[in-house]
Amino acid sequence: MTEEQPLRVVIVDDEPLARGVVREFASRQPGVEVVAECANGFEAVKAVSELHPDLLFLDVQMPKLNGFEVLELLGRSVPVIFTTAYDKYALRAFDVHAIDYLMKPFSEERFAEALARARTRLAAREEMPVEDLLSEARPRTGPLERVLIRDGSQVHVIPVDRIDYVEAQDDYVCFKADARDYLKDQTMGAVEASLDPARFVRIHRSYLLNIERIARVELYAKDSRVAILRDGRRLPVSRAGYARLVKLL
Amino acid sequence: MHPIFARGGRLAVYLTVWTLAGLTLSALLAARGGLGWGVGLAAGMPLTLAYAFVCLSAWHVSRFTPLAASGQVRLIATSLGASFLSAAALVLLARGWMFLLDRWTGADAAFGADTVSLVFGFGQFVYLLSLAVSYIVSAAEQARHAERRAFQGQVLSREAELRTLRAQIDPHFLFNSLHSISALTSADPAGARRMCLLLADFLRESLSLGSADRIPLARELKLAEKYLEVERVRYGDRLRLEVDAGGADDCLVPSLLLQPIVENAVTHGVAHRLEGGLVRVTASKSPSRVTMVVENPCDPDRPRRTGGGVGLANVRSRLGALYGNDATVNASEGDGFWRVEISVPVVARENP
Repeated sequence: MTEEQPLRVVIVDDEPLARGVVREFASRQPGVEVVAECANGFEAVKAVSELHPDLLFLDVQMPKLNGFEVLELLGRSVPVIFTTAYDKYALRAFDVHAIDYLMKPFSEERFAEALARARTRLAAREEMPVEDLLSEARPRTGPLERVLIRDGSQVHVIPVDRIDYVEAQDDYVCFKADARDYLKDQTMGAVEASLDPARFVRIHRSYLLNIERIARVELYAKDSRVAILRDGRRLPVSRAGYARLVKLL
Repeated sequence: MHPIFARGGRLAVYLTVWTLAGLTLSALLAARGGLGWGVGLAAGMPLTLAYAFVCLSAWHVSRFTPLAASGQVRLIATSLGASFLSAAALVLLARGWMFLLDRWTGADAAFGADTVSLVFGFGQFVYLLSLAVSYIVSAAEQARHAERRAFQGQVLSREAELRTLRAQIDPHFLFNSLHSISALTSADPAGARRMCLLLADFLRESLSLGSADRIPLARELKLAEKYLEVERVRYGDRLRLEVDAGGADDCLVPSLLLQPIVENAVTHGVAHRLEGGLVRVTASKSPSRVTMVVENPCDPDRPRRTGGGVGLANVRSRLGALYGNDATVNASEGDGFWRVEISVPVVARENP
């Protein structure tokens, strides 16, 4: 079998020497072209959105964004081979349908094997519903500590305690944090399930509120209440939402 | 179970010793009682051998009134009481046996007041002797037990030490370092060799420090420097280091105390920052205390993991065991910096 188009790969690792190993092994494989090397997750998200590579060699432990968060942000089927010194992520890698899991240090033979597996997988054009699998795997790791939002090739990392509230907007949700709006392509239900239920309460069909932001709740009309935030903003509270709020406080 | 019956050979030795005592009593009876050797032996030997079994009770008496736990009065009263009763029993036994001898052989085995006091004195003396031997034997046994306990304790503490040591050398540190060497072998063979040597140096030093109790601060700082040198090969320019003993080089500190904190500074601090940062390890000395500080920049938004606190908790419990309340550990985060300060009392370097 001859490859007409070279396999375009991106290497992501925060250690220059570790990138060097992949680059060197890849250079001796026929039909492989390294199109980018990234030292962190932000660069990786940017490179993948701009270059659309065929394959990603991805380290797990990196500053700011780890390998799994990079995958979550990419949100589409990017075939991935993880490279890490830790064996504890192997199960999670399996969950997100990684093609292979290379344990550092790895041999050139093992690298070639992983690459062959990637070619087979690409030839079969397997679709990998990464997003579904990620949300399935998430509950095992507990509630989210940071929300990742991709804005083109830019990435925002929002620690959950900076979020004031989340508002549903048509097909999107809008995270209100640090006096800014961050749009994300996700359902309200998925957001609610991923955040800590002891800190975020669904006060209304369209609003998920950080309870630390509440100043008080006022009766607005019969059976209709309004939550007043510390900064003065007012959000509607439904009857079911009020019941949930009372239960939590 | 009585120690005499615990092993077969012991009873034979015991009875042999008692045969000697029997000969002594026989001789005394023959000479003082004027009975002649034949009657003396016939009277003395069986009596003494029977008394040998009475005197086995001395072991139990010594058990019920242990030397260490009993007062002098109780000790003397018990010894005298037990020996008096036993000697009285011996006298009764002797009286009966002599009577029978008198009947059977017609020998003139007179049992006068003289003989009574002789037999009583012998009985009391021998019983007290047995009691003394019992105390010596049980003391020796206790010493052996204590020795074994101390030895077991030593084995346990050494095992604990090994466990902590094994936990301290993070396997991922090794795997990542080996991966760096693998990268260097083709691109920079001299660099690969240098990394091997750095790693070997660090491992050798940390293994030898693991078996030491307290070491001069200079050695601990040297180890931290070696560790950071190895990590610098991996992280490149992202990791910078500064180590300064501040004149406290000679102060003795617990070995491998700073090491887990320095490792945290890299893995939980600098490694989480895109731009990396400087790890500063400094020390200062006052007349009575040594203060060590590890500082590093950290990402305030880094994901919090509970695992990071283990190293610090170990340091705290170790210092508590060594110095009680006299050592302090303060960890704080502010302005994007993580800072751990340890203060321990000065222990002067011993002159060899």
